[in-house]
Formats: sequence, structure tokens, C-alpha cells
Amino acid sequence: MSLDLTPEQLDRYSRHVIMDEVGPEGQGRLLDARVLCIGAGGLGSPVIQYLAAAGVGSLGIADDDVVERSNLQRQVIHGDPDVGRPKVVSARDFVARQNPDIDVEPHETRVTAENVGDLVADYDLVVDGSDNFATRYLVNDACTLAGVPFVHGAILRFEGQMTTFEATTPVDDPDADNGPCYRCLFPEAPEPGTVPDCATAGVLGVLPGTVGCVMATEAVKLLLDHGDSLDGRMVFYDAEDMTFREIQVEPRPDCPVCQPGGVESVAEVDYRESCAIE
Amino acid sequence: MEWRLFANLAETAGTKRVEVAAEPGDTFGEAFDRLLETHPELREEILDEDGDIRDHIRVLRNDSNPFVVDDGYDTVLEADDDLALFPPVSGG
Repeated sequence: MSLDLTPEQLDRYSRHVIMDEVGPEGQGRLLDARVLCIGAGGLGSPVIQYLAAAGVGSLGIADDDVVERSNLQRQVIHGDPDVGRPKVVSARDFVARQNPDIDVEPHETRVTAENVGDLVADYDLVVDGSDNFATRYLVNDACTLAGVPFVHGAILRFEGQMTTFEATTPVDDPDADNGPCYRCLFPEAPEPGTVPDCATAGVLGVLPGTVGCVMATEAVKLLLDHGDSLDGRMVFYDAEDMTFREIQVEPRPDCPVCQPGGVESVAEVDYRESCAIE
Repeated sequence: MEWRLFANLAETAGTKRVEVAAEPGDTFGEAFDRLLETHPELREEILDEDGDIRDHIRVLRNDSNPFVVDDGYDTVLEADDDLALFPPVSGG
């Protein structure tokens, strides 16, 4: 553990170090941490920005998109000169300017059933800011099966959904927590085209800022092992009404991912349509 | 009794709040039927071809799933119960 902070680090992170709940030990834990951010878009931007500022030492960033001008209304780590550049490269450059302590590991790839296992296994924590149901179910299934905790956030128009799944033990381990997972809330994805996405229905530009900051907060708390996470709860944020509503997320006894006896690998699941597991 | 609708369900109904004629002592199923009678345009989004609630639609009574913690459609409603329906969203 990096208990020996340099004078520059003691200065940079002084407002953390002075807190009893963080201190030099907690800051060392952040600097030693490895977090994978899936998506460097609306949600990924504030997540990457705040995790880098907080001193999360290794930030993996997985995204296969390039920056488009229509992204800039909300994706605040990318700027006009970045249009046309890969988002992972633009994000890496942003972090390099922000905090030289951070080692960015760009993964310029789409997260697929073939690569998700290797990707998530290399990190302590995953933060899912992806933009489609297939990736969200893939991340849930891979992280849950492997026992990699993950933070979930999703947005549309004025609304955001945020939760955390803390399980750190593989499902096939006798000591597994056994849920809940995202599939306990939503066993299947909507059929393609039935629930609109941000490209077709729009999204308020500041919405991912709020939701992404909650996601980053959850990530930092998990790494510090401090406070109460959203594990077992989902928060709905309605920016139009400025309301936050919390619901309970109960394990579903017949969940085929987080309960014993279900699938053993994402290779058993078809993620092209409803991501259903029969 | 009032239903709260989220995301595209609120878009379809044109409102986030729907008052239905259900009272304490009625069942969750009765309140659900009255929601669909009041806003039949929600039927296709919420129900599949067999008339079952689609797997991606989550129903709530007082912020918990009545099909997990209560008696599902047969759950007897109480005064001030809070009913809600929401789908997942995927934007990032």
C-alpha cells in the first residue's frame, strides 16, 4: 500500500488526507486501486474526471467510439478539438492534464462476450456508463459471475437510475453473496426499439453530470470501504421534478446469474436481442 | 390511489401520475387493471402477448416488488400505498 505519499501528493490530496474517513491510508488505497470505466461518454466523463482527481491510481477506460460534435453538450472531458478522435485517447489526454499520478489504460474496443471476462478480471471495481442494454447485461453477468463489484448508472431525457452491486465473491463459490444483481430488477432487456435511447429521445446535458457524480461517489466509497453504498437499493433521479426516489432491490430466487445453479459463463447467453436467459 | 410512471411509460401516458379508482382493501391487481383501463395505450408496452407483465417492466408497491415481498396481484392495498411502474433505461 502506498502509505508513503510524496510531498506533492500530500499537497494534492490534502483535503482527503485531513479527513479521518480517508487519511493517508485511504488515499494510499485510492492510489493503489484499479477501476475500469466502461464508456467514456456522458456518464463516463464525470466518473473519469472525479476518479482521476481523487487519485484512483489506475483507470481503465473501455470505449470504441470517436468523439462527435453532438457529444459535447454533455461529455465534458472532450472538447471541440477532440472531434473525430477516439474517446479513450481524448480521455487519456484529459486525465494526463488533470493528474499525472494516474495511469490510464485505454481499451479502444467494444465490450463483448469474448473480451468482457478478461477485462473485468483485471480490475478491483467496474463503473458501467455504457449506452446500450446489451453491454449493460454483459457487464452485470460478467461482474456478478466473477465477483467483481460494479456501479451502475443509466440515463434518458430527464431521468437517471443509479445502483451498486457489491458482490466480491464468484457465484460458484460457497461463500458467494448471491445477489441481488441487475437481472433481479430487470430479468430481460426490452426488445430493441421499444425503449428509446438518448440519440432518439434526447438527454438533458447536465443529467449525466449528476448521475455520473453519484456513480463516482459510490466508487470512491467502495474503494475506501466507507459509508453505505447503494447495494440493494436503486435511486431514481428526476431532474424535471428535482426528486430522488429510492427503491429496494431484492434478490430474485430464480435469477439465473446471481443465484446458484444458473449460467456459468457469458458464453451461454445471447446478447443480441433481449439478453434473455431461458 | 395514485400510480407513478417513469421514463417511456410516462411519455406514452402523457403524465407521470395517474389517479385510479382504487381504495384500501382493493387488490394490487384491481388497481393495475384500472391503470390500464384509464390509459389503454400503456397496455402494449406493459403486457406481453399472453397478458403477463413484460420481464423488463418493474412494478412497485411502496418501493418494493409486490411479486417478491407481498402476494403479487392479490396483495391487499392499504391507505397511502404508493404504486409505481418503471422500465430500465440504458443511456450513458
